[in-house]
Amino acid sequence: MYDVCIIGSGAGGSPIAYELSNAGFKVVILEKGKNYSEDDFSKDELGVSRRDMFTPPLNEQKHIINEYNEDGTFTRYDGEESGWSFWNGSLVGGSSNLMSGYFHRLKPNDFKLKSVYGEIQGANIVDWAISYEELEPYYAKVEKVVGVSGRVINHKQQEPRSTLNFPYPELQTNGVTQWFDKACDALGYEAMPTPRAVLSQDALKRRGCYYSNFCGSYGCASGAKGSARAALLQKCEVEIITDAFVYRLDSNESKVTKAYYYTKLGFPHSIEAKIFVLAAQAIESSRLLLNSKNRFYPAGLANSSGEVGKNLIFSAGGSGTGRFIFENLTKEQQDELMQVGLFFNRSLQDWYDYEDDGKKYKGGTIDFLFEHQNIISRVQREMYDDNGKLLWGDALAEKIHKRITTSRVLSFEVFNDWLPTDKCFVGVDENVLDKYGIPVGVINLYGHPQDLKVGEHLAKKAVNVLKKMGAVEVDYSISASPPANLVAGGCRFGKNPKTSVLDKNCKTHDLKNLYVTDASFMPTGGSVPYTWTIYANSFRVADVIKKELS
Amino acid sequence: MITRLNSRRIFLKAGFLSSAVFVMSGCELFSITTSEETIKLLQSDIFPKAKELGINTSSYVSIILHHSRVSNGDKAFIKNGVKWLNEEAVKIHKTTYVKLLSTQRQEVLKEIVKTEWGENFMYNMNSYLFEAMFGDPIYGGNNREAGWKWLQFTGGQPRPKEMYL
Repeated sequence: MYDVCIIGSGAGGSPIAYELSNAGFKVVILEKGKNYSEDDFSKDELGVSRRDMFTPPLNEQKHIINEYNEDGTFTRYDGEESGWSFWNGSLVGGSSNLMSGYFHRLKPNDFKLKSVYGEIQGANIVDWAISYEELEPYYAKVEKVVGVSGRVINHKQQEPRSTLNFPYPELQTNGVTQWFDKACDALGYEAMPTPRAVLSQDALKRRGCYYSNFCGSYGCASGAKGSARAALLQKCEVEIITDAFVYRLDSNESKVTKAYYYTKLGFPHSIEAKIFVLAAQAIESSRLLLNSKNRFYPAGLANSSGEVGKNLIFSAGGSGTGRFIFENLTKEQQDELMQVGLFFNRSLQDWYDYEDDGKKYKGGTIDFLFEHQNIISRVQREMYDDNGKLLWGDALAEKIHKRITTSRVLSFEVFNDWLPTDKCFVGVDENVLDKYGIPVGVINLYGHPQDLKVGEHLAKKAVNVLKKMGAVEVDYSISASPPANLVAGGCRFGKNPKTSVLDKNCKTHDLKNLYVTDASFMPTGGSVPYTWTIYANSFRVADVIKKELS
Repeated sequence: MITRLNSRRIFLKAGFLSSAVFVMSGCELFSITTSEETIKLLQSDIFPKAKELGINTSSYVSIILHHSRVSNGDKAFIKNGVKWLNEEAVKIHKTTYVKLLSTQRQEVLKEIVKTEWGENFMYNMNSYLFEAMFGDPIYGGNNREAGWKWLQFTGGQPRPKEMYL
């Protein structure tokens, strides 16, 4: 029998595997996807970005999506028919392989949203079961073990740190970054270097970044990116069973007894372990629990509270762009603009919280980055003229050539809290089955109006910067459409077993050997991408499990 | 491991492209043409730059038609679009698309782009062309990186060792 069986090999499961196997325990991971090494990753836009080679085909595995309308109804979308995918990366290391690695910590107030900012009507705000101070040592650990590069500046929203600076120096940046810094100075904003989970030099038995120009969405061919695979799973002796889709957990009243999984060809297997750790990414973790109902837990495993799947959250906000055109630049500036490979790496957190009309709001983060280098997508965006008419022929060729060779787009992404509500949750549809014959997950989507209000506030600040820098065609979009790769909640942790699924250590209140360590535990999401917090929390839980097994 | 190229697929590519398309005028069978002829000419009409740069984009459409990750709906739309384009040509100029003069073909395109199917079809055919023209040369288009060079673009490293199909 294994000591620990982990379901899912991404950022939520891998720290447990790394810590426990390095401590001598017998650990197995069940991973639905395949395994890859650095040698397997290429910058093939067609395979990676246009044919989705790292996610399951929607005709085999999909979700049902119910989107809330203002009149109170939901519109139902079949993931296969609509092409709406919530898959992020089915491979060893999960979607951390494909992340851009924009790494921000949560801030102390993110752990006590209700106490600091008060109730918000229509939202289920609660304080976290732990404080920033309890998680801080693990943020620091991730910096060292996974590898975070950057430079700490003491801006007014800087969270407390136990170490002075990042263990790895910041990555090289493009010259346009200096235009940004100047614009922020003039506006009185505090430009900060974006910390990245990308090694700027050879370290940790991994190679440093080689500035491929294709980071986000792509697997890293040098191992510089701190994916769970490169940073953790390749650095421990854990047993990984690939092509293993876990479809059911069995239990008695107090313990999980077995995990059942199908191999790629549909053969069923099972595994026994002392402790089970579920980390299949938020939506799929809730789906597995709901699909594992039994006579002890008729509403779904670990669901005596009825809270499994509830309070699903994403990252709210949106994105915007501005274009720099040669006509407005000196020759030197043109050369600087077109220098590819180096990162932009600038963020603003000035409005992580702010006051508006005498009311205190939780705000968020704005990350700035160059438009993704994927050339096919960039060309495709030029196919319409200013009046929305489809172009073709020489007129289209001329437009494409001019736009791609004499201008460049700087983008920004706004991250603010997606408030948890009763209308945003995960269920299962007993009548829609995946290729394994298992009911698919149902994603019910709703964005709270405050999410949009805060997003707008932040986007306008970003627009100020782009305009100050001299960008043209500045535009943005803040919406309630969810970013599929920034998902959390569904099994919130808390002290009260009646209102939460997990205890403060991410162990289910109902079953004493079942933990959930992906982003499911988060009752509120903070206003940054989640990966660093998922890693840090998983290292924290690893210490708890280690103690328990010892 | 990465899904490997199923070498059998290479030999299957004939199929739809070279088979007959039955062009109807009302309820009457008007003419028979092949999709390959139509697609080749259509793509050179909507983005002649590719041909100028020596890039063959039409054979890439056969990769799309047999791709494991392109939906059946998208594949069927290519086939239907070829048929409907020819039917529109017959309606306006009394003959199939490939038999028209360049100016007449542009007239047909200006007509179909006013319809929802026509705009979508032209958008999709141009997108497949761009995939061939700006995708990695391993997929058979983007001859000697001519598409990338035209836009002063450098492909990312490492490059794929094989096609993802």
